Amino acid sequence: MAGGRTARSGWGRAIMAEGPTPPSAKGSNPIARLDATGIPMLVARLVLGFVFLSYGLEKVQDPVAFLKVLKTYDLLPLQPPELINSIAVSLPWIELLIGIAFLSGAGLRGAATAATGMLLVFTPAVLRLGISLIGSKPEFVGLCDVVADCGCGSGPLPICEKLVSNLGLLALSAWAFFSPSERFRGFVLKKDSTSENRTAGNPEEGH
Amino acid sequence: MTRETLAQSFKQALVIVFFGIALALVANASSQEGIILSHDFFSVAGVTGSEGSGNPETGSEGSDSGLEVGIDDPAVDPEPFDGIQRATIEDAEVYFEGSLEDSSMVFVDARRRSDYEEGHIPGAIWLYHYQSERLFDEVREDLEQAFIIVVYCNGGDCEDSINLASDLSSLYGLPPENIFVYEGGLSEWQEAGLPVQVGGER
Repeated sequence: MAGGRTARSGWGRAIMAEGPTPPSAKGSNPIARLDATGIPMLVARLVLGFVFLSYGLEKVQDPVAFLKVLKTYDLLPLQPPELINSIAVSLPWIELLIGIAFLSGAGLRGAATAATGMLLVFTPAVLRLGISLIGSKPEFVGLCDVVADCGCGSGPLPICEKLVSNLGLLALSAWAFFSPSERFRGFVLKKDSTSENRTAGNPEEGH
Repeated sequence: MTRETLAQSFKQALVIVFFGIALALVANASSQEGIILSHDFFSVAGVTGSEGSGNPETGSEGSDSGLEVGIDDPAVDPEPFDGIQRATIEDAEVYFEGSLEDSSMVFVDARRRSDYEEGHIPGAIWLYHYQSERLFDEVREDLEQAFIIVVYCNGGDCEDSINLASDLSSLYGLPPENIFVYEGGLSEWQEAGLPVQVGGER
């Protein structure tokens, strides 16, 4: 199957860059074989798609709640007010579009890039928020006792759980970004944008 | 992963971000529930925040030592550092009696419409903090007649009443000496068994 072969060679190349793996050993790399089934890609797309879509939908309907949450993070300056207000209004829509891109497959790598970027910003911010709340209530003894609204669209959550799930999402979005798998990529904007083997050296760009 | 693929990914990500911002601004501008982007909704919170961090007693936040000591101090501090007058539940009850008699005393509910309809202090004017610029003209007359204006929200951590109270004087020109914040809010009011009006009627 053509898709499978392309996928293996993609991971194989990464392996080869690290060490002198002979080309004949490509197919035996377990990560490449797993990726070639397309299952991790499918899981990543479905999970990230639904998570981002639901985060976005919830917040789009209530930008004020998200604005208040953003303020509790204490990361952004409150002056000028346009900054925090615009971010509170815009982020939910960006999340929504990321979710749609994951589910549809259009702009998949772009969605993975944006999702990774957002998770890389928000995960430390959630950690910081959690640490700052330790001791703010008698029951908040350690980080894992802290329950706070992280602005993830689901109301107050245990911070520890949130951090673990964010790391999981980060791993999935990194997988979706790097995976050369051609299976389960969904709707593709431009056929040759999926396979780097074929796009390599092609000066034509998407969008 | 080739350089072209990388560049294309970043380009796609930027398209998502810009398209998201554009959609958001259009949706926000066209929605009744949209927020006014130039409005500073945390005018007081910003002030208390900076003063709080300058206070050596609250400086221990986040560190393990001294947690037991410092944390509750700012909350029980009877002196408000923001220049906005506070009303206790006893004050609020007196003002409530007064508000029943004539329009010289009035309550202002800073919460969202659905919260107001679920239950508010009888006679309270609805003025949602995050849409106050749109709503103020409708209630201006009532507020200008009153010489005691008591602003409240849910109580607890909610700061909307304080920020709205500050806006009432600084943005909408009401005399600050008329404005009080009832920090206990509706939750304390209800717990005390005081009357609550359900529905959209004042």
